[in-house]
Amino acid sequence: MKQPADIVIALEGISKSFGKVHANKDICLTIRKGTVKALLGENGAGKSTLMSILAGRLQPDSGSITVDGTPTHFSSAKEAIDVGIGMVYQHFKLVESMTVAENVFLGQEGGRMLKPRAMETRVRELANAYNLDIDPAATVADLSMGEKQRVEILKLLLRKSRILIFDEPTAVLTPQEGDELFKALSFMADQGKSIVFISHKLGEVMRVADEVAILRKGEIIEEKSISEVTSKDDLARMMVGKETFLSVVKNKVEGGELVLDVKGLDGNGLKGISLNLRRGEILGIVGVAGNGQKPLVETICGLQAPEKGEITILGKSWKSFFSRRKNQDTLSYIPEDRIGLATCPSMNLSDNFLLTTRKGFKRGPWLRRKRVESESQNVVDRFSVLPGHISAQARHLSGGNLQKLVLGREFFRNPGLIVAEQPTQGLDIATAKAIWDHLVTARESAGILLVTGDLNEAFSLSDRVAVMFEGEIVDLFEVTDMEKRGRIGLMMAGAA
Amino acid sequence: MTPDILIPLLAATVQSGTPILFATLGAIFCEKSGVLNLGVEGIMAVGALAGFAVSYYTGSVWFGFLAGGLAGMLMGGVHGVVCLGFLGNQVVSGLALTILGVGLANYLGTPLIGLSASGFVPVDLPLLARIPFLGPIFFQQDPLVYVSYGVPVGMWYFFKYTRAGLRLRAAGENPDAALAAGIHSVNYRWLGVLCGGFFMGLGGAYLSLAYTHMWANHLTSGRGWIAVALVIFAFWNPLRAVAGAYLFGGVMAFQFRLQASGTHIPSSFLLMLPYVLTLSVLVFSSWKGGSSATPQALGVNIEPAD
Repeated sequence: MKQPADIVIALEGISKSFGKVHANKDICLTIRKGTVKALLGENGAGKSTLMSILAGRLQPDSGSITVDGTPTHFSSAKEAIDVGIGMVYQHFKLVESMTVAENVFLGQEGGRMLKPRAMETRVRELANAYNLDIDPAATVADLSMGEKQRVEILKLLLRKSRILIFDEPTAVLTPQEGDELFKALSFMADQGKSIVFISHKLGEVMRVADEVAILRKGEIIEEKSISEVTSKDDLARMMVGKETFLSVVKNKVEGGELVLDVKGLDGNGLKGISLNLRRGEILGIVGVAGNGQKPLVETICGLQAPEKGEITILGKSWKSFFSRRKNQDTLSYIPEDRIGLATCPSMNLSDNFLLTTRKGFKRGPWLRRKRVESESQNVVDRFSVLPGHISAQARHLSGGNLQKLVLGREFFRNPGLIVAEQPTQGLDIATAKAIWDHLVTARESAGILLVTGDLNEAFSLSDRVAVMFEGEIVDLFEVTDMEKRGRIGLMMAGAA
Repeated sequence: MTPDILIPLLAATVQSGTPILFATLGAIFCEKSGVLNLGVEGIMAVGALAGFAVSYYTGSVWFGFLAGGLAGMLMGGVHGVVCLGFLGNQVVSGLALTILGVGLANYLGTPLIGLSASGFVPVDLPLLARIPFLGPIFFQQDPLVYVSYGVPVGMWYFFKYTRAGLRLRAAGENPDAALAAGIHSVNYRWLGVLCGGFFMGLGGAYLSLAYTHMWANHLTSGRGWIAVALVIFAFWNPLRAVAGAYLFGGVMAFQFRLQASGTHIPSSFLLMLPYVLTLSVLVFSSWKGGSSATPQALGVNIEPAD
């Protein structure tokens, strides 16, 4: 525990509403020099609003911001930048076709003419000073996500930002890159920078933060030093406010017939994949994103043809299964991309409902609209999709509600095989819990292939777990095998 | 082929490539900032008319040349008002600009048809003109050709070594990132549209002031469209644009000579050659993966922040 340092920024009584929604209510927060402060909260708790206010992108309805003891008012992002507040967004703001140095200097070139050599040297010096490993002459498009994040950090360092805000910085990183980021954050804090770290992952907050503030429904519930936190469960309880954490009731379902059988699938970035799945079973596929999960899912769902190997879906070969539209009624794909692939943003909910099923809704070439509307309204009610009317357009739904709609739509078809890809990514714990319960219920009549990056989700839901690394299944084991669960990190990193 | 035939052919290649070069560079400059401009043909037509008219009435060819550029800039400004001011569709605005520009030039130019004005004439560059082979091809041309040698290098330098160039590229690649860096991309898009229009206008003026010394309807005859295709062939690189422009200049000069030689191939087929080449060039570019060089925000308007 560090000694309490000088307060750099103090927020007092900050409130902000959008229409009737109070995004932030009477928030008080202090940021100290040389400390890492974590801002923990569920989706929609008001973290992003608060940080946008701090970064000058939003103006609070009331309350005051004090920087170095002087009350300040930001009317634009530029003013916040000028006093030394910088933000690393979740979606990087980089120009892909330019070099690292060009990106770092963009907007702060320091003269009409550019000197690429000098720029690169300066970036290299800066990177070395903060232990950030980067090639200043590389093109950003060729970099990994972790390296891109370093470019964003360097941009702020060049501006001499004193307060660095990170919006869910580990969401896009591999575990190794995450470790490096944490090292860099600690190092920057030691150099006297103040770090604000927005997250909903408890583990990383416990690891890297000096202080934690917990936001719930727009209010700060708790603000304390990390040494006073006794356990993760404590934080989770404060964050969620109720005991819904990490528990799924799972009845044992007797294994039914084989719904999916993959033998020696090769090509498209896959290497000799073999797996099978029975009705009544959830098979979790875990691994760091980009290790072959995407081609595996796309091949099973018929989006790309298998190059080599055999796939049997519900008793039919891949080719014959996908050659008839009717067969496909029994396969449900719940894609990661909810707004682009799963739904059409500008269509209403009942039209979106029709996208994957027309069974019972057709009379010759005509649609039976009345029936579509009553059935889709039914699904919306049963899965509590908000706002609860089918005339809403899909793009107006939040990620969680959209996912519930997709789930309701897919389960309505009574599929025999469900492929769910990152079904709870980016959702708050309460919604994720609801989705988990739905999946577990659906398992009674279907086999579910659950592709996820969230180990906790995989362990809670799956009956068996397969670990993918570089297009291969490294291991496939019963979820009750605690010994292998302990080694899963190594397997995901390809070290076991 | 003997040098007696080859050298004049190559010299004609440079001459007919020059207007295409100016227009292509203009389109590259505009597209680098993220604004697609399909109005090159129309802007060239207006530039050609303005250049000829000013030269005719003032007697100064350089005024004419400048007027061509300024007229192009004005046309670019119209595109800017539609796309940057009112967030109109860039494709539609560009097509409208072509129709407008060609029509306007034909209409306003009617009284000038058949008249001739003073134009640019070839000037040998001292020493350079006497280099064997290369001299007659590159250095016994009119002054505008010499100007055109400098523009691609200047533009390349601008993109790579100036602050404005860096920001203009950022506006075309990722306006959101530019905004996060405190840059107002719309200003740089205006720069792109206006300067791009200027160079397209110069391309037009070259046609009426140096390539021919007269005004006729449809003087541009599709060169603007070739420029649009050449941008892709050049992978948005001003230096590569030179190669593309001379390739087309070569085909145009070649078919012209072939027609004059009294070949039996119907002239319509020969006139088609540049456009056949345009198609091949587009296929070639996409095969070579030119799409990865496309400015990422090309054709995408910048929505004001809410």
